Amino acid sequence: MTANSREAQLSAAFVKLADTLVTDFDVVDLLHWLVEECTRILDTEAGGLLLVDAVGELQLIASTSEEAQLVELTLIAAGEGPCLDCFHTGTAVTVGDMQNNAGKWPKFTAEAIRQGFFSVHATPLRLRGQIIGAMNLFSTHTRELNPADIAVAQALADVATIGILQERTIKGSSIITAQLQHALDSRILIEQAKGVLAATSGMTMNDAFVAIRAHARNNNLTLAKVADDVIARVLDVTTTTAK
Amino acid sequence: MMADASGNPTEGHNSARLDLCQPFVNDLPISGASVTVISSSGAQVALCASDTVAARLDEIQFELGEGPQWVATKTGTVVLLPDVSSASHEQWPIFAASVGQLNVGAIFSFPIRMGAATVGAATLYRDTPGGLDQDHQSSALAIASAIASTAVQRAMTFATDDVPESVAVPALRREVHQATGMILVQLDTTATIAYSRLQAYAFAQGRTVLSVARDVVTRTLAFDNLPL
Repeated sequence: MTANSREAQLSAAFVKLADTLVTDFDVVDLLHWLVEECTRILDTEAGGLLLVDAVGELQLIASTSEEAQLVELTLIAAGEGPCLDCFHTGTAVTVGDMQNNAGKWPKFTAEAIRQGFFSVHATPLRLRGQIIGAMNLFSTHTRELNPADIAVAQALADVATIGILQERTIKGSSIITAQLQHALDSRILIEQAKGVLAATSGMTMNDAFVAIRAHARNNNLTLAKVADDVIARVLDVTTTTAK
Repeated sequence: MMADASGNPTEGHNSARLDLCQPFVNDLPISGASVTVISSSGAQVALCASDTVAARLDEIQFELGEGPQWVATKTGTVVLLPDVSSASHEQWPIFAASVGQLNVGAIFSFPIRMGAATVGAATLYRDTPGGLDQDHQSSALAIASAIASTAVQRAMTFATDDVPESVAVPALRREVHQATGMILVQLDTTATIAYSRLQAYAFAQGRTVLSVARDVVTRTLAFDNLPL
């Protein structure tokens, strides 16, 4: 039964990916979709996706929730843990029971367990031989992902990153592609827009993000476009999602 | 143990290795580049210049308080002067008179943006006249964005003798950008001015931008009601 529904979910996911990739899509929205979809299909509870920036640091671009806790955990993951190992080696890292790895990644393990996550799986984001980031999926159960699960996460990630064009690559080795830079820039815009909403409506940063995303999806707009309009104070997304 | 030749502490951090001007020179058909950011006091701080002409071009504009890089910084737009000798220099008459002494054919100033906030400008020059095509303009803007957070951090380090914010965490935390958004509402202004006010307040209080930003985000500090 589970296998059937997973198969259906997977087909739906690949159809959606193919649809997206043949249109004029936004990288940030695509990556948000990717982490949400993988979290759902692989039966995990939370996920975060990091991209490498121009100075080689991993930056959180998309996550299943913008709650401070998950953000914090993912930031720690950028400094130590399976995600960083996965990014450096370019191969998936699955940790079935976090409690066995406390010695290896003390800070990351402690924070993950404190938040109730007992297993984590990291998938590298690859773009034509280059590792451009990694995706973390967290589960509240102790469970090693099986090879089929790992392959699913990797396949979805690979197809999604194929969409990141390389034709506009900036040649300098220390600088990433224009499209990846756009993703990193959009993230800053989204944070600024969250601040605008927090100040105008008193909502939490997480609710502010939910409102931005809802408005973007309901109106078929990119997250960056909605964020831009919120910052310019020409769009009020709080009224549309309050009900 | 030998000290670093330049006298600078050797940092393990990646951003220490990134020359902010070099990516422009490497990837674009230009002769040289300079990068300036707005410091906490509101002045422009030169972070790098790839050669003496680029340095002089930056200096002249700083001294005169006018020129393409000021316009790029203030308006957040790209300023293109493909032919310096024949351009109309209405916006910067004194600069126009001084630039003639330099061997500069074309000048291009690109805003350095952090989200919706403009934090500085990169000024590129070529010794011969001629434009920059769309692809090169896109590349220049992408490089400008890519160096933004490192540039801002360096400017902060120049402005204070403070220990820079922890180098182990990503350059500028989300709270800084969220606070910028909150302050722009509180002061009914733009993201550019909101960020500069955040930076100036932190400087005046002898605190880090991140710690002030956290107070703003947790609503313990509001810029429309600042304690004196």
